[in-house]
Amino acid sequence: MFIELHNISRSFGSNHALVDVNLALESGRIGLLGPNGAGKSTLMKILLGLLPPSSGHGRVLGQNLATAGVELRRAIGYMPEADALVPGLEGAEYVALAGELYGMPRTQALRRAHEILTLLGLDDARYRKLEEYSTGMKQRLKLAQAIVHDPSALMLDEPTSGMDPAGREGMLDLFVRLGKEHGKAILLSTHLLGDIEKVCDAVVILHQGRILCQGPVRQLCRRRHDRYRLQIQGDPNGFLEDLRLEGVQVLHDNGRGEYRVQVPESWTNQAFFKLAQLHNVVVRGLQPDDEDLEEMFHRVIEENRDQAPG
Amino acid sequence: MRQLLQYRPWKGDLHSPWWSVWPIARVALGKLLTRRLFWVLYAFGLLLFLMFFFGSFLLSWAEAQMVVSGEQLGRLGDPARMFRLVRAGLRILNGSQETFQYFFAYQGGIVVVTLALAGSLLVGNDFASKSLPFYLAKPISRWHYLLGKMLAVFVVVQMMTTLPAIVLYGQHAFDDFNYFLNVDYFIGNETGKGPAGVVLLLSILGYGTLLSVFLSILLVATASWMRTTMPLIMVWVSLFFFLRLLANLLVDGMKLDPHWRLLDLWNDLTLLGQGCLGFAHESIKPAPQPEFWAAGLVLTGVCIGCLIYLNHRTRSVEIVS
Repeated sequence: MFIELHNISRSFGSNHALVDVNLALESGRIGLLGPNGAGKSTLMKILLGLLPPSSGHGRVLGQNLATAGVELRRAIGYMPEADALVPGLEGAEYVALAGELYGMPRTQALRRAHEILTLLGLDDARYRKLEEYSTGMKQRLKLAQAIVHDPSALMLDEPTSGMDPAGREGMLDLFVRLGKEHGKAILLSTHLLGDIEKVCDAVVILHQGRILCQGPVRQLCRRRHDRYRLQIQGDPNGFLEDLRLEGVQVLHDNGRGEYRVQVPESWTNQAFFKLAQLHNVVVRGLQPDDEDLEEMFHRVIEENRDQAPG
Repeated sequence: MRQLLQYRPWKGDLHSPWWSVWPIARVALGKLLTRRLFWVLYAFGLLLFLMFFFGSFLLSWAEAQMVVSGEQLGRLGDPARMFRLVRAGLRILNGSQETFQYFFAYQGGIVVVTLALAGSLLVGNDFASKSLPFYLAKPISRWHYLLGKMLAVFVVVQMMTTLPAIVLYGQHAFDDFNYFLNVDYFIGNETGKGPAGVVLLLSILGYGTLLSVFLSILLVATASWMRTTMPLIMVWVSLFFFLRLLANLLVDGMKLDPHWRLLDLWNDLTLLGQGCLGFAHESIKPAPQPEFWAAGLVLTGVCIGCLIYLNHRTRSVEIVS
């Protein structure tokens, strides 16, 4: 089990940052979603053993949260949202220092730092001062210091913040590979739903200190019986016009014969094929278009708002 | 980014968190030792050291010359007796407890100035630039981090006080090996009071350690509070200058109880240090002085207060960051 929490709460005076959080998550790639102030950073600090919970107990990677903070942080590579750089150091020195702080011998930390910086495309900048790094370079540097000691788990707080699209894609691919090919447990905290969709198998949604839902993304996203993804071949104009007349709403057209459509209640799949035959159009594919992560997220937030007392 | 096929797992043994103390100190020292201003101040400290060193060398050379020119000098009087008188009069250079009393007092002034200027580099920058989460997110406790910072300050103070003092001691020991072997060297020669030998060496180490430990705790606490150079200098001026003035005014000016002198932290340090060197309480200037134990109590109280503050300060960083 990666994370196991029982009734974890954390308050700062009258501010209840976390309220009765219960989590049971197997090792894997897990997304932590929530708006600002939801309690994501507080939860991460508790999972790292940096903050004691006000009440409740839990385990991370089999270690007790209350007593094993040092062991936890040894097993977890943490990539913070804030820069958290050490001014005056060069890139290689910074990553090597991180390695030494994790407990690596100095020569091995230095060697590993150079290796990781090369892997992350920072080999040309390894002898530059940290103050000279761009935002994207700093993000990669923060990742480097998190993985230098080859931890069994990673906790990543807004890892793609400020990165250009190419850098972001590369970073996300790296996370997927670290999880799939190297068996690392990953907890990814981000506002960007696209990052969660690309990387994570499971998601935890946090709102106002409470867990709204948790579990595999596919199970949480509801099956929609009124939406389909449609792929056709042929002249679509007449076909689409007739669909609209039948009450079908075209939600998205990618211009290459692929559509997302929403159908009325009484609709049957056969109707697609009948209309296609009428307009000499070939239906190449027809799949239910389930709720995506963004829709699921908004639905869950709305449901919680509706259920909230007062 | 390169293909992850090149990512290699690392397998090795991880050290205990205590091993992190030295890298933390090393990074802080590295930042300081690359600054020109530090070397300028260190050079001033070395000048003082060289004054003591060459003064002692000159004294030894003069003694050797007196032996060689004994026949000429003999008309003036007994050369050996004359030289004993000279050595007794120049106790600041003869390697006795007074030598190190003055040495630590002068060097201490340079140390306080150096630490005021270096505090932000050694410690304050981590708070100002929010580097602390980088350290605290690692498998170390906040006390390992603080100990690393204190070790950096400890090394700086040792470099400027204890190490040169040991060299001075070594110089006298090489000059006359009895200085190292005989605890009653000065009493036997009638050239001074106080111990010599290993006792004096341990006293020097004790005085240096006392200075280093107290100043390292105080600097880390004040630098984590003030963080940048100018406010830190103002706090240190208040602690080591204004409190000294106030204590002198109260005790020497207004003739109040000598325990008011305990406000002067530097006096407390030098009082205990001179106690380490074997000075009798009554002989310590300026008189009257509070008791040794009272000075020790004040310094201990200040250290405990600093440590409590540091515990609170680093914990709030964990919460806020």
